[in-house]
This record gives sequence, structure tokens and C-alpha cells, in this order.
Amino acid sequence: MPDFIEPLRRRLVELGCPMKQVRRLVREVADHREDLKQAALAEGLSETEAEARANTSLGDPVLLAEDLMASLRRSTWWGRHHVVAFGLLPLLAYPVLWALLFTLELALEFALGYSWDAKKLQVAVNNPVTFRHLSLALHFMDYAAIASVALLFGRLARRSAVKFKWTVIACAICSVYGLFTWVSFGMHSLSLGFTVSASLVPQWTRAAIPHLVAGAIYILQRRTIRRFREQVAG
Amino acid sequence: MVIGIICVMKKTNPSFLNGVPELLVLRLLARQEMYGYQIVEEIRTRTGEALAFGEGCIYPYLHYLEAEKQVSSRRQEVEGRNRNYYKLTARGRKRLDELTSEWNRVTTGVALLMEEQHA
Repeated sequence: MPDFIEPLRRRLVELGCPMKQVRRLVREVADHREDLKQAALAEGLSETEAEARANTSLGDPVLLAEDLMASLRRSTWWGRHHVVAFGLLPLLAYPVLWALLFTLELALEFALGYSWDAKKLQVAVNNPVTFRHLSLALHFMDYAAIASVALLFGRLARRSAVKFKWTVIACAICSVYGLFTWVSFGMHSLSLGFTVSASLVPQWTRAAIPHLVAGAIYILQRRTIRRFREQVAG
Repeated sequence: MVIGIICVMKKTNPSFLNGVPELLVLRLLARQEMYGYQIVEEIRTRTGEALAFGEGCIYPYLHYLEAEKQVSSRRQEVEGRNRNYYKLTARGRKRLDELTSEWNRVTTGVALLMEEQHA
């Protein structure tokens, strides 16, 4: 009798189903299969016949995994409206989320470093060494905010079981924003802006961050599948 | 004719059947705590085999209802078998009331139209 559960589990993992969902779905389908088998046994079928009937009722495990993934996608707003959620929403949400995260990080740094004391901050900025540290911290916060927005969309895409291409699309939108927006820190000023002017150098580092996030998500997914295959083979 | 619910919803179900799976599941769970297989079987038998869930496909749907806090689940051992049992929550009961009144409104409307055609 061919194994039913293992091909189902493998296909769910390959389709990018979150591992928590894989464990739960596989356990429940295995319970369901056992119930079907018990019902067939109660009708007087032999063990082999009962297993065959249970497998027939559930259908092809690969197709069932695909149906389960489709149902999983339809069960969340993000999955049902993936074009809007990952193709259009990042266009609107990126500036808001980035600004929110950046402001929060700034507020946290100032609260921890200067207790909101303007005089302390002014003294620090006037010192070239401290200014350089502050400038670096500011750029780091900017990069962290960009990465966080890309990660948020990546995580939402993963949780709603949509295809990986939607993570890439959302990250590409974040990247375009990163390319044409900028943050500049002067002695006593902080400026933010958006430009498509050729005279200003595109922000390649900022643009690369969402792509790196998408790459990291892809590597993690592949590693999960490889580990799973090793476990099965072992 | 058997109408497959959830797994093949897009292929076979007309739009007026949207919300029917939710209504059926919530209605069954309003009576008692149930597990997946039991829900599938109950729907099949109680609807005179007119409606049927794709085997196994009920689970993502139950997980969705759980995420919406309309049902809650727990793992329980009964007669040597471990299963996930689902039960209706207060929010699920409220949703059931909404769906029931909506269903009654639709069926009353359809019945009126059918009677008009027969008259």
C-alpha cells in the first residue's frame, strides 16, 4: 500500500506551507484517513481494502495538498486578495510604515541616549566623533526600517501561503521606494526626501535591502524543504 | 446532484452559495462539539448527500473559523483516538444568527419568486 501521508506532507512543504500549518494539517488529515479506514473496516472490509478505500476517498495526496493550500490561501484576506495585498498595498503602505518605524527608532534612541534633552543632543552633535556615531546610527535605523517593512510583507505572504513571487513583488516595490527616497543628517538638521532627478545619486544600499530580505526568505524556505527531505530520508 | 463545497467552490458553486459552508459548519457545531470527519459525515448525511465537503479540505476552513474566533479547538482522546474537537464560541453563535437570518431572507425571496412563476 503506497504511503499517503508522507507525499502529502512533502508537497505541502514544497508549496511553501508554513511548518506550523503543515504539522496541524497532516495530523488532522491522518486522523481523517484513520476515521475513513475504521468506517470501511466496520462495513466488513479487510485491512488492505479499508486502507485502499480511505486513500481513494481522500484522492491523490499531491492534489489534496494543492487543494489544502488553495483553501488555506482563501481562508485569509491576504491570500484571497494577494494582488492587492502584495502588488498594490506596499505602494501605499511602505511610506507610512517606513516613516512610523523610523520615527519610533529615532524616539527610542533619543530617549535612551539624551532623555529628550535638547541641550545634550546639541552638545553631542557639535562633537565630530559623536556626530559621526549619530549619523551612522541614523543610517542604520533607516536601513532597519526598510528591512522591517520588507520583512513584514514577506512574513504576511508566508503566513497566507501565497506563492513566493508575491514576496518578491512586495520587496521590489519596497526597493523602488528605497532607490528614490533619501535620508540626510546634517549638523543640526535631518532631511527626508523623494527624488527621480538624475542629478541625485540613487540610494543603491537602501534599494538592495528589500532584495536581500527576499533572498534570505527564499534561502530559509529552501533550507526548510532540504531539512524536511533529510528527515524523511533519514 | 452533489455540490462539492470548499475544495471546488470556484468550479461548481454559484455565488449565492457563498457563506453556506460557514452556515452549515456553525449550525452543526451549535449542537455539539465535533471533529473534522464527523462534520463532513454529518453534512453529507443530514443534507441527504446533496452537499459534501471535499475530504480533508474542511481543515483549512476550520482553522480559518478558529482564527476568526468563531470556533475553538482542543485535542482530546476519546475511545483511544486523539482528535481535534471544535466547538462554537460566542462570536460564532452571533455569526450563526446573522447567517441564519440572511439565509432565511434569501430562501423566502426565492420561494416568493417561484410561487409567483407557478401561479
